[in-house]
Amino acid sequence: MSSASITPPPPKPPVQPKPFVIHKERTRFFGLTLDETIRAFFGGNAFMAVVVLALITIFLFREGSAFFGQNRASITLYRTAGLEYVDYMRAQQEGHTALTRYLFDIRLRAVRHLTENEALSVAEANAKLAAFDEFAGRYSDTIEPVRGFVSDLTDVAVAIKEKYTINEDAKTERAQFLATGMTAEADAVKIAEIDFKAELAPLVGVTPMYVEAANGVATAINDVLATAPALPVPSLESRMTRFKELNREYLATFPETQRKLETWDYLKPVPALDTVTGFLFGKQWLTASFWQDWYGLVPLFVGSLMVSIIALFLAVPLGVGAAIYINQFAGLREQRIIKPAIEFISAIPSVVLGFFGIAVLGQALRALSQWEALSWVPGFPFSERLNALTAGCLLALIAVPTIFTLAEDALNNVPRSFKEASFALGASRMQTILRIIVPASLSGIVSAVLLGLGRVIGETMVVLLCAGNRIAIPDFTQGFTAFVQPVHTMTGIIAQEMGEVVRGEIHYRALFMVGLVLFFIALLINFLAQKIVRKYRISIG
Amino acid sequence: MVNVSSLSNAAPMDTSSATPVSRAFKVPARATDGEKADTLIEIENFDFYYGAKQALFDINLKLDDKRVTAFIGPSGCGKSTLLRCLNRMNDLIDGTSVKRGSVKIRNIDINTRDVDPIELRKRVGMVFQKSNPFPKSIYENVIYGLRIQGETNKAKLDEVVEKSLRGAALWDEVKDRLHESGLGLSGGQQQRLCIARTIAVSPEIILMDEPCSALDPIATAKVEELIHELKKEFTIIIVTHSMQQAARCSDKTAFFYMGKLIEYADTRMIFMNPSNPQTEAYVSGRFG
Repeated sequence: MSSASITPPPPKPPVQPKPFVIHKERTRFFGLTLDETIRAFFGGNAFMAVVVLALITIFLFREGSAFFGQNRASITLYRTAGLEYVDYMRAQQEGHTALTRYLFDIRLRAVRHLTENEALSVAEANAKLAAFDEFAGRYSDTIEPVRGFVSDLTDVAVAIKEKYTINEDAKTERAQFLATGMTAEADAVKIAEIDFKAELAPLVGVTPMYVEAANGVATAINDVLATAPALPVPSLESRMTRFKELNREYLATFPETQRKLETWDYLKPVPALDTVTGFLFGKQWLTASFWQDWYGLVPLFVGSLMVSIIALFLAVPLGVGAAIYINQFAGLREQRIIKPAIEFISAIPSVVLGFFGIAVLGQALRALSQWEALSWVPGFPFSERLNALTAGCLLALIAVPTIFTLAEDALNNVPRSFKEASFALGASRMQTILRIIVPASLSGIVSAVLLGLGRVIGETMVVLLCAGNRIAIPDFTQGFTAFVQPVHTMTGIIAQEMGEVVRGEIHYRALFMVGLVLFFIALLINFLAQKIVRKYRISIG
Repeated sequence: MVNVSSLSNAAPMDTSSATPVSRAFKVPARATDGEKADTLIEIENFDFYYGAKQALFDINLKLDDKRVTAFIGPSGCGKSTLLRCLNRMNDLIDGTSVKRGSVKIRNIDINTRDVDPIELRKRVGMVFQKSNPFPKSIYENVIYGLRIQGETNKAKLDEVVEKSLRGAALWDEVKDRLHESGLGLSGGQQQRLCIARTIAVSPEIILMDEPCSALDPIATAKVEELIHELKKEFTIIIVTHSMQQAARCSDKTAFFYMGKLIEYADTRMIFMNPSNPQTEAYVSGRFG
């Protein structure tokens, strides 16, 4: 308080505060700042994959799911029009045909034996087999009564189905006229309601007569078999015994067929589940047939599977072996030559590989298979140029780069210190590779193989060109020869038939269902591969 | 590789005028001090090259049997290279070559053509800077060396596992989980597991390349204690960057600088009374 006399210091000039600018940038694109826009762009790119995946799934489901309804309608018609009924009889007839073929096979072997081992001329051999021929002729005639029924009734059933189809078409036509308001034209369309019961009467009516005929066939077969002559070639007797055994089995199915025919009811509903199991486990893929179309996945799935197995069987040793060599043994110069060469294979368009398969590999493999020195190889020799083996070999070529590159990465990721530690403990190079490096990278290698499998399963062009495209489950009774038979694949059938089908028709839907199955297989393989790779990262620690 | 020219510029090597060294650590007296030891390894006029680059210059060194010898020196001085020459681990690196001189173990030159490096490495084991157990169980890690030699006798293997783990002072810590992954152990335990793995093949010599550089002080102390135990049975050569460790563990110390052996003497001598001024400068912490 005593400082009153002291003059106060002159007032300081007020300091202008620095502008305190903390507002956001004003430049905006669609209401976002530049950074946010860029972020949104990147985020959009990242989510693109998810969106596309979802769209594909939805699209496949939408197009494919109607298949089951249509398939059910198709199978229902198969029943109501009496096709199923006729097929029971046909099965009986075909059983007999197969047995007749067996008999011909025996004769073929007998002739070969007689001409080769006993040095008889063909004429002499035929003379020796005269008794057998007479027997075979009588045997093949026994089925005649059944055959007559089947061919008559086939016409009846087809006629009913035809009538129904025409009627359905007429209904559609009429609905279209009505929709456009052309009532007069709509009335002009004739629609005859089909009385299935009446139409089926000639079919069902023959049941007692047919059963009688079938029993006659059974008796005839037994009579004929009782008079079977002795074969001039003793070594084939065992086949003859087998033939008789097969006949007993065949005849044992007669009562069952009879029961089926007698209890057959054209109105029995088709369970919804049958259409799903019929698709997934159906053994027939039969389209555009005058009789009945079947959409069974099994032949195509088996084809794809076999081709993939062959491809992996060849590609795994090649790819993994090459990866181990390049990673562990090869010098720098070898690496510079081999690595780009293998990776270049994946750049070859698959259609070119397909050409190569048709023009070169198919021929070469067949020639190789007919080479005497290689006759011990299972399945050799074979006569089909385009078959599962040809396609599998080319697919292996496609899988090798994938497997090689990923397996090499996995081997590369094994820490150098593992290798050094192993050497320092007195391990040789081979021991180090087999006991340390390969086990440590095993999950990486397995996922490489899985991704290779994914590549192979999805490949289309090569299998379409080289697999032979026969839609049938290969005959596995002969062991490995199944692998040199022509097959058709899931990818191949889509590529081949998609161009020819009517949009929205059952066949079109069935192809989409095949695509859907393919899609899920690929998804599963990739999921497994990712899962394994994740585990592998942890195990290396 | 250290840029050698910058190192010598930064650290003057003419330290003859420096004051006598005063150190923060002592070199303990040892029972083996003064005892005469046999020579096990003899290195004579040894020149070693990485491609065209010479890494070791005219090394002459005699290493004692059943003793611990420490190699010290700044990074890039060649001490690890020399260590790896003793079991020919450098064979794994492309372009390395011995141009002159020899390494003899028990009077056998290990670089001649008829020596099998695999057999050599069974006799000369190695422990690395970073612990590197295999991604296998503890048990399998220890018997790896025997497995590759074809040993299948279960009883024998069990015995070796226990003996080796006891030898590496790890048995009590892991005996209840022998079949769990070796990667689940702590860093120090992993390093001792690597030592156990090495002694399981009963080598004569154990090379240790900075075995404690990645370990904490407690784990380091355990490994050092272990080295004392091991030297009763094994000849140990240890490369270390820690002067204290060299002083604590070793009987003899070799100091390297720029690929040359500068001084080699009893550890006590090296640390208390080095005869070479470069050694003096290094151990007193004035460079390196």
